Amino acid sequence: MLNPSFWTLLRSPVPWIVLAVAVSAPLWMSPFYMSIAILTLFYVGFAMAWNIVGGISGLLSLGHSIFVGTGAILTSALFLNLGINMWLGVVIACVISALVGAVISWLDYRFRLGHLSFALITLAFAEVFLLVVLGTDFLGGASGLILPNDTGNFLQFEFGGGRGYFYLSLSLAVFALLVNLLIINSPLGYFLRCIRDNEDAAQAIGIDLLRCKMVSMAISGALSALVGAAYGRYMVFIDPYLFAGLNLTIEVVLVATIGGLGTPFGPLVATLLLIPFGEVIRGHLGGVLPGLHTFIYGALIVIVILAMPRGLVPTAQDWWQRRRRRGEAAQEKPELQRGLKPPTPMED
Amino acid sequence: MLIPEFLQTLVQGFLLGSTYGLMALGMAIIYAVSGVLNFAHGDFLSLAMYLCLAAFSYLAFDPYLASVIVIPCMAALGMGFYQWLVRPMVGRQMLMIVQLTLGVAFMVQSGLLMAFGGQPKRVPSVIEAKLLIVGDVVVRGPQLVALGVSVVLAICLYLSLNKTSFGREVRAVQQVPRAAALMGINVPRTRLITFALGFAVLAVAGILLVPGLPIHPSQGLRYTVITLMVVVLGGLTNFVGVLLGGLLIGLAEAFGTVYVSGVSGFVLPYLIFILILLFRPKGLLGGAA
Repeated sequence: MLNPSFWTLLRSPVPWIVLAVAVSAPLWMSPFYMSIAILTLFYVGFAMAWNIVGGISGLLSLGHSIFVGTGAILTSALFLNLGINMWLGVVIACVISALVGAVISWLDYRFRLGHLSFALITLAFAEVFLLVVLGTDFLGGASGLILPNDTGNFLQFEFGGGRGYFYLSLSLAVFALLVNLLIINSPLGYFLRCIRDNEDAAQAIGIDLLRCKMVSMAISGALSALVGAAYGRYMVFIDPYLFAGLNLTIEVVLVATIGGLGTPFGPLVATLLLIPFGEVIRGHLGGVLPGLHTFIYGALIVIVILAMPRGLVPTAQDWWQRRRRRGEAAQEKPELQRGLKPPTPMED
Repeated sequence: MLIPEFLQTLVQGFLLGSTYGLMALGMAIIYAVSGVLNFAHGDFLSLAMYLCLAAFSYLAFDPYLASVIVIPCMAALGMGFYQWLVRPMVGRQMLMIVQLTLGVAFMVQSGLLMAFGGQPKRVPSVIEAKLLIVGDVVVRGPQLVALGVSVVLAICLYLSLNKTSFGREVRAVQQVPRAAALMGINVPRTRLITFALGFAVLAVAGILLVPGLPIHPSQGLRYTVITLMVVVLGGLTNFVGVLLGGLLIGLAEAFGTVYVSGVSGFVLPYLIFILILLFRPKGLLGGAA
């Protein structure tokens, strides 16, 4: 099975070592790479939040910009226009996102739209959301919103300089990953994967499709809004085209798919590899060739889908397992002769 | 005052809608024979427009003259798109194909940004400033040309799909590809030609839209969304439905901008789309014709 049990994973030393290295990063990282690390961790958060719907439940949502945008734009607008504390704003944005997510799921279920229509309807909602943001002065309109300078006042949702945002983004990324692992290893995760693989069969064995889909979309929406609000506070300038535009979501979807959907590790690894890669390219060649990094994402997704349709991480995992099994089989020859079946490598 | 304004809006929406219908026809015939909903459609439209720009800036060609270059280029591109990207995906999950086309959309969009820069550009045309005035209704020259060409092209497509042996092959592949293959139809070849045809239609739509329109590398996705809405409204493979869907979205856009104030005006086409999708999931005319 590809799903490691949640507790074994927590007991294994690997995640703790990775986490320790990550926590110490501000000590040895230069500010340029630090900003890349922060951005990458925010993207990990987005990718993990999207994975709950796109990866685990298999619903291709292209409308997560609604949630990201609600998190960043609504929180900032409430603070700037009505003076509502941003912590409260984040809670409001998360609740609204969860509700919107649940409503979209309900529409999808109520009208039995099927997978492709889910992509279409989320795309249409995302476009509506962008137009609404661009046309509403309260939300900053086309010129966006500018948050006041960060003074490091934690009670005002301010986290100081680079180090503060690094730990913020790191904890959000870890939190989002934990939410993914918890869902995958809980009954809800099994229900969702069952729905993804065969909806009719899932319903036949008594899974409440509507409830599962609504819950997954609500969790994903709230998580996206949370990360979106933090990303917005980090960026200071709330650009409507960045936060409510469709490109951020599609970038996340493509990167997640390159990594391989189903487990959270595919999107995680792909985001950790590709976003820094894209940012370094943008840092060095952005002035000359402004679209090069997105061009490379596009080309990579095409190559990955054609060459290894399950994504990088599952393919690599399979390769590794097959290799290891071959090694074991060679060592355990006497046992094989005693009549045990040789382990069959997973072929697909 | 009210009736001329209404007529003007009606004509605008009709003109806009006819071009949307043409854009969507390109996507619909590709979907019909291959089952691929191309999410890079709008970006390829964008590419056709930028090819017009290139033809104008290097050769000083008017967009209409540039069609001798742009249409063959786009048709060849469509063949390449099918041969190297879509054909290896036969039998794969639909969502993967959608993501593949999204990847292609990203490539085209970023490629345009790299080649032409991020500033909005315009391609002028000789007939751009020509106006046709009938009563109180004013029509711009390029729009009139667009309407004429769209209608003629739609009729040609209709006739060739319904009256020629090629059209019969296309319809056979659309209905049951395996049976079509058993009847001696070369399915890959039919699909290849249809992709070329779809991209050529798309190129025509690009040429018709481009005179005087500001173009920008990141516009593609918006056109994709509009085209997808039109195609879904039309019931995916019902070509008459697709043209009607184009008119509906065009009219909704025109009336929304003129009569509904503020944001909700721009949102009107999308709201209509979402409502129709919810209550008539098979499209305006329902199912395939």
